Amino acid sequence: MTSVGRGSFFDGATTARHAVTVELAPEHLRILGRDGQALAEWPYDQLETIASPDDVLRLGRAGSPVLARLDIRDPQLAAAVDERSLPVDLTGGVERRMRAKVVVWSLVATVSLVGVAILGVPRLATQITPLVPYGLERKLGAAIDAQARASLDTRRMGAAFECGIAPKEQPGRAAFDKLMGQIESAAALPIPLDARVVRSPDANAITLPGGHVYVFRGLIDNAETPDELAGVIAHEVGHAVHRDGTRTVLQAAGLSLLFGMFLGDFVGGGAVVFAAKTILQTSYGREVETAADAYGTALMTRIGGDPRALGTILLRIAGTTHPGPKILLDHPETRDRVAAIEAMAKSGPRRPLLSAPEWAALKTICSGS
Amino acid sequence: MSSLDATVFAAPVGIVAPAGGPVRFRGRPGVLWRLLARGAVLLMLTLGIYRFWLTTDVRRYLWSNTELAGDSFEYSGTARELLLGFLIAIAVLVPLYIAFFLLALGLGSAGEMLSGPIAFLVLTLLGHYAVYRARRYRLTRTIYRGVRFHQTGSAWRYAVCALIWWTLIVLTLGLAYPFAQARLERFKMRNTHFGNLPGRFEGSGLQLLLRGFVLWFLAIVPFTAGVVLTFRGIDWSALRAAAGGDDPASWLEVSGLAGAVVYATLTGAWLLLSFAILYPIFQAMLLRWWAGGLRFGEVAITSHLRTAQVFGVYARFLWYAFLFTLATAVVLIAGWLGLQPLIGRLDSVRDEIVTTVVGLVAYVAIALGYSAIYQATVRLGLWRCVVESLDLTNPAALDRVSAAGEAASPVGEGLADALSVGGI
Repeated sequence: MTSVGRGSFFDGATTARHAVTVELAPEHLRILGRDGQALAEWPYDQLETIASPDDVLRLGRAGSPVLARLDIRDPQLAAAVDERSLPVDLTGGVERRMRAKVVVWSLVATVSLVGVAILGVPRLATQITPLVPYGLERKLGAAIDAQARASLDTRRMGAAFECGIAPKEQPGRAAFDKLMGQIESAAALPIPLDARVVRSPDANAITLPGGHVYVFRGLIDNAETPDELAGVIAHEVGHAVHRDGTRTVLQAAGLSLLFGMFLGDFVGGGAVVFAAKTILQTSYGREVETAADAYGTALMTRIGGDPRALGTILLRIAGTTHPGPKILLDHPETRDRVAAIEAMAKSGPRRPLLSAPEWAALKTICSGS
Repeated sequence: MSSLDATVFAAPVGIVAPAGGPVRFRGRPGVLWRLLARGAVLLMLTLGIYRFWLTTDVRRYLWSNTELAGDSFEYSGTARELLLGFLIAIAVLVPLYIAFFLLALGLGSAGEMLSGPIAFLVLTLLGHYAVYRARRYRLTRTIYRGVRFHQTGSAWRYAVCALIWWTLIVLTLGLAYPFAQARLERFKMRNTHFGNLPGRFEGSGLQLLLRGFVLWFLAIVPFTAGVVLTFRGIDWSALRAAAGGDDPASWLEVSGLAGAVVYATLTGAWLLLSFAILYPIFQAMLLRWWAGGLRFGEVAITSHLRTAQVFGVYARFLWYAFLFTLATAVVLIAGWLGLQPLIGRLDSVRDEIVTTVVGLVAYVAIALGYSAIYQATVRLGLWRCVVESLDLTNPAALDRVSAAGEAASPVGEGLADALSVGGI
């Protein structure tokens, strides 16, 4: 077994290269200068292998602030050092085992983070939502309202995007306000609603934080009775009461933090974050929609409307106006949903929400100037 | 090179050179390919957490295979340090983001208008700060012959200078770029030390401008002319009057948009073409200029990098990317056919979730594939031809350097990572 060989030594103080003799003593590796004087003595268990070209074994002393380095190019001497020192491993086995540990723990961390995203974030958002002061929600709503309006108003109509402003639309506006008045007084909301009709062709309505409700023209065109329209609006009021918009904002913020920031922006990261958010929020969305349906049907019973009308209009517009992938709509499968509405609906005393002329006027709320 | 990673090659300034022999790169490409392939798979499975280890592995490979005067460099950074730096950066940035958010809410519509530009300004400043600190981290983890590099100087001062210079670059359509590069590089190199050997930078901005002016002219002037023609062709009042009209054909006709589209297409095509041809020429020129300006004590460096080498590097990338694209297409078609029987058995929303997840995995796998090919061809290729193109005068000075400087914290790397402005 080789116990003596040649190497290059750098003492960590200067860049001078020392041609040295390496002596493998029983307890430590000894580095001898030209004159036979010992330049360093390193115990075998404190040796550290340092990345180097393939034909060089580069050693340092682990944990030492002095960057002294020994380069060994003699394969037999390198093998002899490997033989004696536990930390030195020319086959790379030690490093592979350590790396495997890193990989396993990274995978565990990933699973844990995904678990937090699926289970933790929605629960946390649900817990925090009631604690958000209404004043803050209103400010948040104002900020989101401006953006939402800009993104809905695809044709850049500005003020004209809203229905019920022009003189010819005033009777429609009055009827709409009457309908909203009945809904709002029965709902007894902590913050006032701000409901508007906009010239958007989709049969839809949305609710933002701060009580902003947008009813799209397409919905009014599709509604055959005041109760159908009121049913959808009552459902939206359910979202406002449950503060679902605020919760969505909190969820989105939590998911952005988790996926966007913590996991970092590796290649394609942005797309992953977007898709993960969409999928997760779709799955959160189902329970939320069911709860809003329950609220909406109960509210309709209270104001003397038909609680089943929501189901009727949902069935009519399903399939006709679902542009794009369903995954982007937060709504559960329509048939299950309608069945649930039928089951929840309680019949009570009924009265017309709007007179026939009022309803006819409301249908013309977007007729233009 | 994006605005912030101009420091890419400044990292292993280990490119000082050999007594008698040239700088050599001794790494086998196969080793890097294996590292990157395994890294891509693990990046995908760990949603990016593995990047700290991959980055460290790649740096270790590049540094330790670069040999100067018969001795190779050493990268002593660890993945653990990068992870820690990143966590610290998160601790700094999360409150900052929340503050921007509250600022926007608290000031109402004025806050909304203000918070965007303020956030942009602060984050850009922080980005430059991070780049400088990250350079410090990499330098202090670069060791040659048992002596480490280090960097002094205030990162905030650098960040302010960089912000001012980049504003000037934008305002002058790039003409200030050579002077900005010279000034910023001078700042960095003046604060760079190998042990007790101080660095400096002697490249001149004017010289770079003279060498690169033709390139600038070819790239910017036709582009600007194209943009101006595009916008002048549009009759804005007619466009506004006809907006939302029901007849798109006449609308295009009246507003002059049809002609504008032609100009815009030509401009885009020229931009693409000039980028493909001019960028490698520019990169080779910039690298030669940069390396030729580096000094360590009385050691001077020159580079005889040939432009053809840089074109070769990109040609290799295109070739491998082409092969990868073919292979991906085959796999995707096979996978799509295999998935067909599964679709339609579940309800439609679940169907879409399944197809979205599958599509997402495919997308990430493809993106990571191209990234690995880019690193193994362009990054390694440029590294190799740059270091092998170097020549030193007075290399004997490198034998008499004494150790100085301490290892620096990895927070800058963490910030650069969290802000996505990393270099190498």
